[in-house]
Amino acid sequence: MTDLLDGRPSGRLLVAGVAALVFVALGVAALVAPESQVGRLFGIVVSASTLAATLRLSVPIVFAAIGGIFAEKSGVINIGLEGLLIISAFTAVFGADLTGSLWLGYLVAVVASTALAGLFAVVCIEFRADQIIAGLAVWLIALGLAPFGSQVIYGGPNTKSVDTLGTVTVPVLSDVPFFGALFDASPAVYLMFLAVAVGWYTLNRTTFGRWVRAAGENPKALDTAGVDVSRVRYAAVLLSGTFSGMGGASLAFSIGQFTGNGPTMVNGKGFIAIVAYLFGNYNPVGALLSTALFAGLDAVQLRLQTTDLYALPDSLVQTIPFVAVIVVLAFVGKTRLPEAAGEHYESGEE
Amino acid sequence: MSRAVHLDGITKRFPGVVANDEVDLTVERGTVHALLGENGAGKTTLMNVLYGLYQPDEGRVVVDGEARQFDSPRDAIDAGVGMIHQHFMLVDPMTVAENITLGNEPRKLLGLTVDRERADREVRELADRYGFDVDPTAIVEDIGVGVQQRVEILKALYRGADVLILDEPTAVLTPQEVADLFSVFEELTAQGKTIIFITHKLGEAMTAADEITVLRGGENVGVVDADAVTREELAELMVGREVLLDVDRRPADVGEERLRVADLSVEDSRGVRAVDDVSFSVRAGEVFGIAGVDGNGQSELVEAITGLRGVQSGGVALDRTDVTDASRRDRIEAGMAYIPEDRQERGLVMDFDLVSNGLLGSQHSRPYASAGRIDWAQTRDHAESIVEEYDVRPPDADATAADLSGGNQQKFVVGRELARDPSVLVASHPTRGVDVGSMEFIHDRIDALRAAGVGVLLVSSKLDEVTSLSDRLGVMYEGELVDVVDPDAVTEEELGLLMAGERPDDVSRVTPTDGGTDR
Repeated sequence: MTDLLDGRPSGRLLVAGVAALVFVALGVAALVAPESQVGRLFGIVVSASTLAATLRLSVPIVFAAIGGIFAEKSGVINIGLEGLLIISAFTAVFGADLTGSLWLGYLVAVVASTALAGLFAVVCIEFRADQIIAGLAVWLIALGLAPFGSQVIYGGPNTKSVDTLGTVTVPVLSDVPFFGALFDASPAVYLMFLAVAVGWYTLNRTTFGRWVRAAGENPKALDTAGVDVSRVRYAAVLLSGTFSGMGGASLAFSIGQFTGNGPTMVNGKGFIAIVAYLFGNYNPVGALLSTALFAGLDAVQLRLQTTDLYALPDSLVQTIPFVAVIVVLAFVGKTRLPEAAGEHYESGEE
Repeated sequence: MSRAVHLDGITKRFPGVVANDEVDLTVERGTVHALLGENGAGKTTLMNVLYGLYQPDEGRVVVDGEARQFDSPRDAIDAGVGMIHQHFMLVDPMTVAENITLGNEPRKLLGLTVDRERADREVRELADRYGFDVDPTAIVEDIGVGVQQRVEILKALYRGADVLILDEPTAVLTPQEVADLFSVFEELTAQGKTIIFITHKLGEAMTAADEITVLRGGENVGVVDADAVTREELAELMVGREVLLDVDRRPADVGEERLRVADLSVEDSRGVRAVDDVSFSVRAGEVFGIAGVDGNGQSELVEAITGLRGVQSGGVALDRTDVTDASRRDRIEAGMAYIPEDRQERGLVMDFDLVSNGLLGSQHSRPYASAGRIDWAQTRDHAESIVEEYDVRPPDADATAADLSGGNQQKFVVGRELARDPSVLVASHPTRGVDVGSMEFIHDRIDALRAAGVGVLLVSSKLDEVTSLSDRLGVMYEGELVDVVDPDAVTEEELGLLMAGERPDDVSRVTPTDGGTDR
């Protein structure tokens, strides 16, 4: 496990420890008094439907986070993940509507998101633009373009509805209490777990992954070793588009529609993804776990809104996951950014 | 013996300069060859030509008896030439084996996956063959600089290098690590490898090399046998005139007390006591030297005196005024000049031009600024006069600090600080990284300041520097001032013992406060 969650996890262990402690305390209280408020809260936290909601909410964040890890590990900070999610959520529905096939729609979304990431890569790597500004531009372009496309094609910010991905149910396993939700989930959830595994393996075990890390830490070392730094960075940024595209498509197909009002249906998930991979210390497994923490709180928050457990205004309850993010960020100060993240590199320059 | 490398009449021009002018270099296989010269003599340029980073305008590169055309380092590596740069090309968070095999990873599973076992094994075998004590699984940022350098050497060897070029390999090493490096040289040459190393230190060239080629002003001014040459001859070849390696000093003509440090205790950044109850004084017209192995509290002491670090207890007085809690600005205005040990970190803003850099520390004061406005004409004159007086190259006040070589950066910082007309100079490693000619110049300046009645506090890890310049010499060990001695009477052995924390009985001591009548 130390290999999976490498690094010096002091702050992270603390957060994980506190979360576990709260959980145990809730559990003990619930055992003592199952009908108390605390007991009912615990019942919500450990319910299979909360786990199912957590998984569903995690999907786009985890995909985008894995993509962000590749880009940033290679030295290109991709703050435009939000934009990639937006553009792929819209193009997924559009593609599915056009072709009549969800999976072709999925493909269209991945291509669109990868293309936008490619544009970002050209601007950042070839033309040496500031990565943060270019990333914000990606977000703003998508934020404008997707609802505009919807307006032109569907006559409103929301697209028409297409099918959802539905669920794939594994017999027997899906009947296990609580964890059954893991085996009665959307194909996107299974894809997410696969992406985490593939992402981790690629980054830590393959030659490409090693070059990505070297490109972000000391590009000159990689260059003098005879590997083209720009090509590695292009590949990594394109991968961030591919993963984000899968995230955006999964998000749209979870309800079968793209909604483009205000911050669109993506609603900050791309930015949460950045927090998730920073908290996960650029490790896909860590990003999955930190996303689960956030999405879990979000799921609980959604359930709390429908109960009469507390007489708290909904808008206050809705802030729970975001407060958690701020607390988490306060502890995450020790994340070690890749040494050359955000820096341009040109071969032969002193 | 056969020639491993032969450079024949290499000329390399840059806009406005001829960096190498028909330079010849012949290196026999299985030998250590030193390329000696002052900063800017063209040593690194010549080696960059051999390594394929630059293409020569004229001349031939012959490796293994074959004329070669190296368009990139890749070509040089393929021909068996490897270079270890002064700044290591290592990926800090990766392991030793990962760094050594980077770009040439052994692979498995359809060529996608790194065969880590094989990489570790190959690196271990390679290290064993040359007797290097290197753990392939160690993370690079956790190992010492000396070991990192060995990793760089292994990286070149792993790529099949027969000729190793090392650019100023000892600049970042401790004396012990330097000795280790030189025994590595012996091991490598014993196994048929050829080593060329760039240096500006006479002693190292004489100790480690078989043959020495001296460059001056981009020309080869002599090839000498390292065993048959004296330091003086080498220094003269290098600088082009006779060099006084020892400063000829008049006796001190001391005046009143300029700087007093009283019972000073300082903590380092980790909260560990780095300076422990240190007291001494520096009087007008004398140089008080502080010797010691680096890291025994000298940096923290200097930072506390100059106002860069808070003190735990005790105090600092400048011209009998307490400045313990005074700001940097107040101290500068009270007449304290400071040559920092790390010029790039504390002495210069690397992206600023010399005009702006020359203003640093004076940005509040007349004649450079008044009523919140900077007088740029005045500031430019000031920078240009420093450049001229201190022979800073290139002689262009519009150049950024980053455009200057380390030695020239140092000359500029020294020039700026001395131009403050200080009453006290705190000089921390004032000649670190500068060549022998500039060193002599800076020593002369410090001596001139002393003659003019300035109190000088000189901290240096170079023993010959502190003993030759100082009137009294304090030795620090683990944060304490173990002794203050007469540098003319103390022997090198006695100093060595003091630096190791021991107090021999018969050292010629002098008092830390010189006279001590007011204590």
